[in-house]
Amino acid sequence: MSTLHVLSHSPFSDSRLDSCLRLCGAQDAILLCGDATYALQAGSAPFKALEVSAVVIFVLAEDAQARGLSLPEWAKSVDYPGFVQLSIDHDKVNSWL
Amino acid sequence: MKFAIALFSAAHAPSSRRALLFAQAALAGGHEIVRLFFYQDGVYSAANSVVTPQDEQDIAQQWRALVSEHQLDGVVCIAAALRRGVLNAEEAARYQRNAVNLDAPWALSGLGQLHDAIQDADRLICFGGP
Repeated sequence: MSTLHVLSHSPFSDSRLDSCLRLCGAQDAILLCGDATYALQAGSAPFKALEVSAVVIFVLAEDAQARGLSLPEWAKSVDYPGFVQLSIDHDKVNSWL
Repeated sequence: MKFAIALFSAAHAPSSRRALLFAQAALAGGHEIVRLFFYQDGVYSAANSVVTPQDEQDIAQQWRALVSEHQLDGVVCIAAALRRGVLNAEEAARYQRNAVNLDAPWALSGLGQLHDAIQDADRLICFGGP
């Protein structure tokens, strides 16, 4: 049973990302979109937390691009058809509203 | 694959646009959207009174176009809509309000429609927040 966790809030304004990482199972993945992509700001605390976690990290390409973020190799970039495919590949999609 | 999409944010929120692009990509990929359910502030994504600045994308209009073009089941939560002043002609008459800002292709209905859509769909995808 796998879950795709979708985050859109900035990791610098609340603790959703920390809670999400604590909850993630071995099969789970995280999709960063909107301001949540700021977690990929190199050297930041959220960046380090993601880097050391075993969770697979995806990022919505246009949201990262709009914020001028350069992606580390462990973050996989997806477009909208890729987002749809991720939602199919996982059993559930949990949006952290 | 059958999708149910729930939207919790207004047309000016980036998450409303993300939901729209997800819906477009799902349809383009040959998938089915069993129902769109607009809940809480998502009712503002269906209101036809929204005026978008000329240099910005009119997401409420794009939602309307998508629902019409693909003849989707676009449901707006009636309780969430009434408390936010999003009314169709029938509700405006019922509560003696002079503004009507919701019409076809949208339908006002209850939360049971979301539950029903979740039972019918393979995946529920929620969009909201920023």
